[in-house]
Amino acid sequence: MNRELMSYKGIKLILALISVITMIQSICIVFQAKWLSDIISSLFAGHSLSSVSHQIIYFAMAFTARYALSLLIKRRAYRFAQKTGTRLREQMMAKLFQLGPAFVRREGTGNLVTLVLEGISQVKTFIELILPRMSSMGITPVVILAVVFIENRTSGVILLVTMPILIVFMILLGLAAQKKMDLQWSAYQTLSNHFVDSLRGIETLKFLGLSKKHGTSIKRVSEKYRTMTMGTLRLAFLSSFALDFFTMLSVATVAVMLGLQLINGEIFLNSALMILILAPEYFLPVRELGADYHATLNGKEAAEAIQSIIDVPIEQKKKNLFSLSKWDENSELTLNKVSVFREEEGKMSLNCINLSVKGFKKVGIIGESGAGKSTLIDILSGFMTPSEGEIKLSENEHSLTSLTHEAWRKHITYIPQTPYIFSQSVLDNVRFYKPNASVAEVEKALEQAGLAELVEGFPDGIKEQIGNGGRMMSGGQEQRIALARAFLCQRPIILLDEPTAHLDIETEYELKETMMSLFNHKLVFFATHRLHWMKQMDYIIVLNQGKIIEEGTLDNLLNKKGEFHKLIQSQLEGLE
Amino acid sequence: MKEWFVDYIRRYWRRFIVILIVSLLAVLCGAALMYTSGYLISKAALRPENVLMIYVPIVAVRTFGIGRAVIQYIARLISHDATLRILSEMRIQLYKRLEPRALLIRSKVRTGNILGLLSDDIEHLQDVYLRTIFPSIVALSVYFIVIFSIGWFSLSFALIMAIYLFVLIILFPIISLWMTKKKSQKINRQRNHLYQNLTDAVLGVTDMMISGRSHEFIHQHEKEENEITKVTSTLHSMSRLREFMSQGIIGLIVVSMIVWSSGMVNTHQIPGTLIAAFVLVVFTLSEIFIPVSESIEKISQYQTSLKRLVETSHFETEESKNELDHIMNPDKVTIRLDHVYFRYDNESEWTIHDLNLSIKQGEKIALIGRSGAGKSSLIKLIYGALKPEKGLLTLNGIPATHFGEKMSDFVSVLNQTPYLFDTTIRNNIRLGDQLASEDEIKRAAKRAKLDEYIDSLPLGYQSVVDEMGENFSGGQRQRLALARVLLQNTSIVLMDEPTVGLDPSTEKDLLDTMFEAMKGKTLIWVTHHLVGADKMDKVIFIEDGKIEMQGHHRELMSKNERYRRLYQLDVPYQL
Repeated sequence: MNRELMSYKGIKLILALISVITMIQSICIVFQAKWLSDIISSLFAGHSLSSVSHQIIYFAMAFTARYALSLLIKRRAYRFAQKTGTRLREQMMAKLFQLGPAFVRREGTGNLVTLVLEGISQVKTFIELILPRMSSMGITPVVILAVVFIENRTSGVILLVTMPILIVFMILLGLAAQKKMDLQWSAYQTLSNHFVDSLRGIETLKFLGLSKKHGTSIKRVSEKYRTMTMGTLRLAFLSSFALDFFTMLSVATVAVMLGLQLINGEIFLNSALMILILAPEYFLPVRELGADYHATLNGKEAAEAIQSIIDVPIEQKKKNLFSLSKWDENSELTLNKVSVFREEEGKMSLNCINLSVKGFKKVGIIGESGAGKSTLIDILSGFMTPSEGEIKLSENEHSLTSLTHEAWRKHITYIPQTPYIFSQSVLDNVRFYKPNASVAEVEKALEQAGLAELVEGFPDGIKEQIGNGGRMMSGGQEQRIALARAFLCQRPIILLDEPTAHLDIETEYELKETMMSLFNHKLVFFATHRLHWMKQMDYIIVLNQGKIIEEGTLDNLLNKKGEFHKLIQSQLEGLE
Repeated sequence: MKEWFVDYIRRYWRRFIVILIVSLLAVLCGAALMYTSGYLISKAALRPENVLMIYVPIVAVRTFGIGRAVIQYIARLISHDATLRILSEMRIQLYKRLEPRALLIRSKVRTGNILGLLSDDIEHLQDVYLRTIFPSIVALSVYFIVIFSIGWFSLSFALIMAIYLFVLIILFPIISLWMTKKKSQKINRQRNHLYQNLTDAVLGVTDMMISGRSHEFIHQHEKEENEITKVTSTLHSMSRLREFMSQGIIGLIVVSMIVWSSGMVNTHQIPGTLIAAFVLVVFTLSEIFIPVSESIEKISQYQTSLKRLVETSHFETEESKNELDHIMNPDKVTIRLDHVYFRYDNESEWTIHDLNLSIKQGEKIALIGRSGAGKSSLIKLIYGALKPEKGLLTLNGIPATHFGEKMSDFVSVLNQTPYLFDTTIRNNIRLGDQLASEDEIKRAAKRAKLDEYIDSLPLGYQSVVDEMGENFSGGQRQRLALARVLLQNTSIVLMDEPTVGLDPSTEKDLLDTMFEAMKGKTLIWVTHHLVGADKMDKVIFIEDGKIEMQGHHRELMSKNERYRRLYQLDVPYQL
């Protein structure tokens, strides 16, 4: 049993229901055994078939009822699993879109997608299996044992004693295998990752002239992996061996004891037969649990991982504390002593940032990588909550702790280094922020972003599929799609994070003209390490190791011959 | 199908037979245990004078009880061992399939993680043996054994049983495979769609947040999940129903067995002690027969994996088999391009258009141009991974495509994103020259200016690259790749935008280190901007696959207006 499972909504009710059904089912099992043994012993005593026809019908009914009930249990458990899975998925996805890009970067896109799709279905399997197993484990053996005790004390003792021995051995051997796995875990991981690592690096291997030779290395590692796995399996299978061994031995012992008692006339054949039929049923729940153990393990882990995402704390903001109806010449944004701590101790991504902007302005944010440019943009875009400090926004009387609010995001456009292109048409990509925009509006935006000619040349024009699986676009063209989005929405605030770092110089130059027309009459935050952009900025912030080390207009900074000047010099250094 | 499946069965049939026999023995032991138990107590109920009369069945019961557990254990071990053997062979097979075209996979397959997928597919295929083939064949064998043993007593009853069991292990599996196939294909399709959409949404998470469309997306996602759930629910209820019906058949068999055996006892064809024995055996056999449908149903799941693996055969093409047979001086190599034309397929425009170029040993060339201008294709042509459609590209007079494996003795490559393997720093560097001594590795690290950083790590050269994750920056990754290339020690180095995405000062440091370490080597450097161009012997500007302008930086600066303008844009001169 585990914590996650018991915290699911409605779990108690469903467990109670399943337990009741399991109880009835256990009684069916007992009666099925009783009538069957009655039939056999009557026939054995030489009675005719017609004399036991009633019992045969009873047996058939008990037998049918037993499996009908098991069908019912499975259906209940399945439905509950579906319902819980759906709820977990909804919660997790909602959380995902609240936590934003920093969280996605940390956890990895692949991981998260797998967790939503595979993880949830593993959890469902886990719930679906564990509910019936738990109740049958708790109820059926007890009922059977009670009946066996009433019928024959010796057999009851044998069964009673075997169960704990069996479970102890199973757990001990399971733990031993686990310990061995843990000891070799890192070696094990390396070996099992070796193949996919080799495939991913196949290009590099080829360039190093090692790719042919590496085939033998794969063979060697795979063989090593096999021997190691077999070593662990030998131990791991021992646990199910113990299960089998004690079950079979116990059944065999019961049979022999019954035989001896029959010879001495201490028991009747029908009782003996009934016990013999019930003995395997007594162990069945444990064996089923053992068989499904590994299937439930993945689900259990997935459940924990999912819960940990759902449980990530998010600051709950009251709606009325944040409002921003429009951004105009008189609007003002102030950052006051804003800091961001990194997870490692003592390091700060941003250190006591003070910043104030009013109206429409182009603010350049410059600095080397690791200086905190992206973190500052993340704060200003409302993707991240600062660890310390306050933010003041006109219209809001109280100071705010962060900008992570939809009312703020509604006013901004964010353009990263590589804008994401969805696997949709050009049309839907451009109107992503404004899904109800007309084709004519999108065409105008494309024209403004300098994409009209390119898109007209596509076989399907504006309906051409782009993104993953569609037509490939160059970095510059992807950036233009992002610009077209911005042109279409005309939101008053634009944030850019190194939008041209990966582009060739000519493409960057061409983009610059388009961008400058977009920046007109807007509040722009432009983070970059390409210094030539600063010429077009109204105000410049120089960041170094999370701190603002200099700020002012371009002329100011150039005359000052301070940090900004140093930055220019260092880039010119070594050049003629 | 043949190469990924039948071939393995052909190769491993001896092992498979052993596995099947042992698994069968385990089942028979279980059945025999219940049979002898039933016989034992019936016999005992006759109250023989002496315990010795039932001595044999007593021993048999114990033997079968212990034997069943032991044999089952062995069966599991040997079947896993065999599948792991097959797994390792399939891996080698897949690797060999991909290796010759290694440099072209990326341009051929657009889906990012195809390689990871293929590796998963192979793991799926091992389940075919463990979960489908072995259990089904065992069930089939038990089927025949049961029918023959009953046939010994009564042909007509054997026929009835044959029909019952036929329904269980042939009819039900076929029907459920047929009924689920379409549905599970539909589920697969829908799940793939969900997978794509979700990946899209997670990668575009910022756009989702800013556009405020995340609720809409979740809603849409749930709608599609619901559709899938509807289909899976029908599948589930079908399989529940099937199991119920299977149990019903088992019940029917038990009742028939009672009726038949009592008849046999009445006519004195069998002793009364066997009624219990026969009836009890039926229950153990149900454990073998009922799961067959489920095993067979899984077949439709393997098919996707198998299909993808079979598709890898498209990767296989003619590889230039004529390996290098001339002995040439690896220290002095001249590269010559003579009217080289290249394009990716017959309809498209020329990627490289009538290119003429001669690069002497030790020359440093910068290749500049927009993305898509043909720079990277040119690098692949020089490496011999691509073949010119027209014209000649030679190294010391030998066509580049003739070098094959040997190319790495002459040319090394530094990529945009160097791949670092999941092993120690030392092993990653050593890949450049597997015979390198500890000293040589350290010297290479020093020349790449990575030695101080490595020494500062707690585990030094023993640090595992992957575990360092974020602590290993883009610049440091490039330096590690550089150390590797320096160890490889070839006379020609091709660099394909190794500094893209780095900030200016990191870039400048890295370039300085690279240029310094590559004295005397021929350097062909693809770049998208002009920082460092002045350090090159020649700058070649490529546009639409043609050389637009070329010359030394100084020369171009003084003569070429366009070049001057670009350079000024790139370098913060005017500030």
